[in-house]
Amino acid sequence: MSVLARFGANTQPRRTRQQGEGLDLVLPYLLLAPAVLFAFAVLVYPVWDALRASTMLFRYGKPVQGVGFDNYVRLWSDPQFLNALWVTVSFVALAVAFETVFGLALALFCAGEFRGVRILRGILIVPMVITPVVVAIVFRLIYASDAGMLTVVAQSLGGSPVEILGHPTRAFLGLVALDVWEWTPLEFLILLAGVQSLPVEPFEAARVDGASPWRVLIDHTLPMLRPVLAIAIVLRTIDAFGTFDQVFVLTRGGPGEATKLLSIYGYDTAFKFQDTGYAAALFVTMGVLILALALAAVRIMRGMNPT
Amino acid sequence: MTRPAVRNAISVAVSAVVLLPIYWMLATSLKSNKEITQDATLYPHLPTFENYVHLFSRKQFDAYLINSLAITSASVAIALVAGTLGAYAIARFRLVWGLERKIGLSLLTLRIVPPVVILVPVYLLMLSLRLLDTWLGLIIIYTALNITFCVWMMESFIREIPVDLEEAAMVDGNTRLTAFLRITLPLAVPGLVATAIFAVIATFNEFMFALVLTATPNAMTMPRGTATLIGRIDTDWASMSAAGVIGAFPIVVFALIVQRHLVRGLTLGAVK
Repeated sequence: MSVLARFGANTQPRRTRQQGEGLDLVLPYLLLAPAVLFAFAVLVYPVWDALRASTMLFRYGKPVQGVGFDNYVRLWSDPQFLNALWVTVSFVALAVAFETVFGLALALFCAGEFRGVRILRGILIVPMVITPVVVAIVFRLIYASDAGMLTVVAQSLGGSPVEILGHPTRAFLGLVALDVWEWTPLEFLILLAGVQSLPVEPFEAARVDGASPWRVLIDHTLPMLRPVLAIAIVLRTIDAFGTFDQVFVLTRGGPGEATKLLSIYGYDTAFKFQDTGYAAALFVTMGVLILALALAAVRIMRGMNPT
Repeated sequence: MTRPAVRNAISVAVSAVVLLPIYWMLATSLKSNKEITQDATLYPHLPTFENYVHLFSRKQFDAYLINSLAITSASVAIALVAGTLGAYAIARFRLVWGLERKIGLSLLTLRIVPPVVILVPVYLLMLSLRLLDTWLGLIIIYTALNITFCVWMMESFIREIPVDLEEAAMVDGNTRLTAFLRITLPLAVPGLVATAIFAVIATFNEFMFALVLTATPNAMTMPRGTATLIGRIDTDWASMSAAGVIGAFPIVVFALIVQRHLVRGLTLGAVK
């Protein structure tokens, strides 16, 4: 999880004094070879291929044509792409905000190790290990307007059926709710570890001084948690940006385009409409956005935490 | 700080929010379609396992399960071996041109790029290699994705093991390799376990590449098979819920068994 903390950090290997001879000199290269060859053949080559394809136009029945950066230019005047970008950004912002607040609240709540904490922690692990496809099924069974949990409960209380997935705004919020249910536990676990690793003294001092719990939270807990909070938020943001499975099964982007994330729009472009070059440009843009986000986050975090 | 009664109330409320949706899927899976749509019961009045039997006898869920287990274990095993060796080299050696840093960074970058970026090229690659709809195709891409993860996880675990131990072993007549195998590797086992658990969960649950690279029960994995089934049935809630339960069952049981390692591995890296 410290991926971002180490991304760009200046870590030198701790070299042993004996550098050895003969086989020992080539040993590190031999050790690295399988991992590097594999990763480069299966990941780097496709990235390069994607970059190449993104400058081409594929039209059925016509020869493939190089079009330079046309695909990238086209993106920014494509209302569907701009919509998908907006849906993705608002989805990520809303979901991560809720997850962070709930995760932090839960972590603070569980920090004082009481008897139920371990059971609670065990329960909270379940949503984030369940197959994302199945999480989407769980929520379809909740939202279904004929036999879903919400409808059944509403009807047994004398209400009328609840319609979620057929309504644009509600479907979008329903997707956010799914993500919050699934991933709040991750933020909770990361933040809990952060809370538990805080030093005790400042809090005792504050208590002796008669500070209210609220003031302790604002003045001591949150500032000290900032690095952990930043890591939790960035990790979730990067992951949420690439969300695909849950939407694919829950709404397939609908109704209309209310839940059409970039990943879904790109998938449709590539596999439904076979517009390979344009889809490649879309995915490359998406990757660049995420990498830029990650780099910016690293900068900010290093500024916060000068160790 | 909080009083026990308040504490318990909050705990129960949180557990309910987490568990009720799962309860609902379980309950639905034990009902008949008539009970689901017409009676709208809150719990199964006439529990039946019909939905599950159906999945295995008619929908080939046994094939999906076998595919998933084989593909997951093969790719995680290969990635763990290759990743740990690579991580050791990065953590312990200085290479020409600072290669170890550059490789470490590029693997990290690959880790951050969302896999959806390479979805199309990987599809085209597998198409040209005639590996669509095979175990091998999925094993290759999953191994690659797992390697980037294993390298950075294991690198930080190996860095924590003192170099002195290895050097002492080398003074005692071990070669570099046997010192690694006899001294460092056993000490890295907790890290290996945590890494393996994460890799298993991520791989078993992977859907996007399985969606694009497989098409028949020859190679379809559990999430892929589940999604295909519910894509066809749409509002057959009974089958859908049973498929959901079966689809998630192996990995949830696995996660609960290894729970302690899971939490430790997860939090270890984040807070350091």
